[in-house]
Amino acid sequence: MSGLRDKYCIVGVGETAYTRGAGRSTRSLAAEAVRRAIIDAGLQAADVDGLMSYHVGDSTITPTLATDLGVRPNFFADPFGGGSSTESLIGLAAGAIEAGMCHTVAIYRALNGYSGLRLGGSARQGPHTITGSQLDSLPYGLASPAQRFQLAFARHMYEYGTTNEQLARIRVVGSNHASNNPKALYRKRLTVNDVLESRWVVKPACHLLDCCAETDNATCIIVTSAERARNLRQRPVYIMSTVGRVTRPFPDFDADVQCSPITRQAGYYGGRLAFRNAGVEPTDIHVTGCYDCFTFSPIILLEAYGYCELGEGGDYVSSGIIELGGARPNNTSGGQLCEGYAQGMNLVIENVRQLRHQADDSCPEGQHTYDYSEGGCRQVKDVELTMNMGWGTPAIGSAMILRR
Amino acid sequence: MAEYKGLDLVVTPTDPEHRGYFEAAASGELVVQRCGACQMLRGTVGAACPFCMSGEWDWRPVSGLGTIYSYEIVTQPIQPAFGDWVPYPIVLVELDEQRAVPWRGGGEDELVSVRLVRNLVRADDPTLPEDEQKVAIGKRVRACFVPLGGGMALPQFCLSDETPEHEPWQATSGRP
Repeated sequence: MSGLRDKYCIVGVGETAYTRGAGRSTRSLAAEAVRRAIIDAGLQAADVDGLMSYHVGDSTITPTLATDLGVRPNFFADPFGGGSSTESLIGLAAGAIEAGMCHTVAIYRALNGYSGLRLGGSARQGPHTITGSQLDSLPYGLASPAQRFQLAFARHMYEYGTTNEQLARIRVVGSNHASNNPKALYRKRLTVNDVLESRWVVKPACHLLDCCAETDNATCIIVTSAERARNLRQRPVYIMSTVGRVTRPFPDFDADVQCSPITRQAGYYGGRLAFRNAGVEPTDIHVTGCYDCFTFSPIILLEAYGYCELGEGGDYVSSGIIELGGARPNNTSGGQLCEGYAQGMNLVIENVRQLRHQADDSCPEGQHTYDYSEGGCRQVKDVELTMNMGWGTPAIGSAMILRR
Repeated sequence: MAEYKGLDLVVTPTDPEHRGYFEAAASGELVVQRCGACQMLRGTVGAACPFCMSGEWDWRPVSGLGTIYSYEIVTQPIQPAFGDWVPYPIVLVELDEQRAVPWRGGGEDELVSVRLVRNLVRADDPTLPEDEQKVAIGKRVRACFVPLGGGMALPQFCLSDETPEHEPWQATSGRP
């Protein structure tokens, strides 16, 4: 097992606006994002012969989308799942092409994450009738992702002394980055106190501002062979390795607290594959993209993949390293906490643009200032290597290393 | 079927696992699945043994005694049924019967215990949540039962009189 290093590329990315109240169907959102990605790549509908999408029963499936855009797939798949899917599906797309099933795959995720199925919000009332595996959680008032992950977060605070101030740093850094991202839903720069003074959602780790910004949006990433990529509009971004969905023991949603350490993420195991197959190490990476459904997730992901020691994530993210201008910026778009929750897709799109040296900030095209003050640049200078760390639960993860 | 806090808890004919669990609780017993081949216990209901793949199992009554391994306090209920409970604690209880068993030889420092995710409720009234100030990692708990009718009961946990297993820990930073 050595992966398909540099044989496949991301050649197109696209997205809709990140909004609260799109007033459109996921079908309409998906069509816009896929169309934008196809145009970004310099392709036409006839050039795309593979479609993939992931969902939790809340989206539009690929045969429908294919019909709308006139895409004629030789391959399509709509796997069930949320976080940890983006990198996994990109790897699967490369696999489908390698198998000769198709040559160019558009992967999209479309969700009305605010207007429709709202994973963490009050719009979701939960079933009145509780049956089957629901009997293991819902009778105890355990339903939302924040509630489900909190047991691991609290244990991390107990074992390692991770503080709410350190968690807040993730949001603050994200907000600073988002202030330089015209697409971001929340562009206001925040302070640690802003986070600590926001209302509690679940104690001890989730104030309101520790939670991501649920939005309506669609996103798309196009994968093709390196050979085809060389003749397309954009500079190719090479896929060095993909991992996912990697697990730790007992990955079932209700059972993942049975095996200690519950603070250890699936990425602890996934990183071995990601780095080996890419032939690089954490210190080689210039920009990271950590799944940030909650402020805690980047901290435990950076630990899991070896950017710092287990338990030192809180200090690491407070050190300045992860900020624009720091040694290894993380989530330069503002991430899902500030740009908008897109189940990880937008974190990959951001790194693709960073690797093209085309971060869509307010700088004139091709003239990045590298001035990271508010409203300024967010392109990281001379980016060559990025890593995305996806996250479904503490027990389910994904990752991808990209190069210019 | 049973009603609890306005929720209909439905155990279908294809679900003998949950039926057995709730029926044992009605007779005052907390039970967990025990593998018929390797005798390992399981903290969550499952169809086969994660240690040996055997599909044979039976119910093993346990003492109901355990230690709070982790916890959370829900302050924003997304289930309307829990609106009258906030703030309420959810606890991860590690039972005394099976703790820290090395997983597949222990090469990755992975240790499997039997842990239950339940509410910490008041010892004098298990239909009410315990005061959040009293919830802490390390405290000892015991099982208690909320009758549901229909021959079923819901096992929960309440604080016991035992000495905590270690210095109790509760998060203190952040706005109260």
